[in-house]
Amino acid sequence: MKDVLLFLHPTFGVLGLLAAVWVFVEALNATDGNHRRLWLASLAVAACFVLAWLLGGWYYVVFYHTDKALILQGPYPWAHSFFMETKEHLFFIPLILALYLPLVARLRLDVNRAARVMVLVVAGLIVLDGLALEGAGAIINWGAKSALADIATAHPAPAQVKGEQ
Amino acid sequence: MATPATTSDRTDADKGAAQTAAAFGAAAAITVLFNVVLAFVKDAYAPLNTLMAHLTGHHWVTHGLADILVFVALGWLFAARGIPARGLTIGLVVALGAAVVVAGAALGGWFILF
Repeated sequence: MKDVLLFLHPTFGVLGLLAAVWVFVEALNATDGNHRRLWLASLAVAACFVLAWLLGGWYYVVFYHTDKALILQGPYPWAHSFFMETKEHLFFIPLILALYLPLVARLRLDVNRAARVMVLVVAGLIVLDGLALEGAGAIINWGAKSALADIATAHPAPAQVKGEQ
Repeated sequence: MATPATTSDRTDADKGAAQTAAAFGAAAAITVLFNVVLAFVKDAYAPLNTLMAHLTGHHWVTHGLADILVFVALGWLFAARGIPARGLTIGLVVALGAAVVVAGAALGGWFILF
């Protein structure tokens, strides 16, 4: 379950990010014809970010404390102290934007300029925030991996020691 | 929700939806800033962090629920009271965009400095 959560969290994050790109492109070409499709895409953004929140939150609350201890003892403790601390709070910004997006995307963007600009800005900010969060997640993962690599280097397996003699 | 039957009904429905979008847009801008302020205060003041952890079992869960609650409550309140009075404008777009940029930069700066 632990590893499934760890994979599903960024998966839904990326899917939400891609859906936000989809909304952005639809809004650039907003007509009466793509109104419903654009709104459905905005619902997909909201659904993906809520799932990323719930699944990532589950991992963070229940399992992350062991990763945190590992990272803080490893060579790159700032992978937690900066990237994780920032990420866990920054995440709420695209979450709020994703929840807001369907409310404005349901308007007729082809005749309402302010609504169209709002959708473009909100979708664009979700994409940029999402990319930052994905990058931060990779660095946090790297911090844990580097800590494990250090432990493995410091304590080589017995067979490996024998082989080297 | 009833489907608008006439052009007039549709126009009224569109105006209502636009006012709701404006209200929740203003609520989103405030919530984004509230999120950052709450992060700073709980990071600097341990008793608040402890209280938040006590409420739901984890400070981060309480933080997320507080953000959602503020967003929904303010959006509902603003929509009921016709705030912002000018409705959905480019100014509101700029305000929300600026709130997100400032909030993101402030979060990064805080965890670099402290």
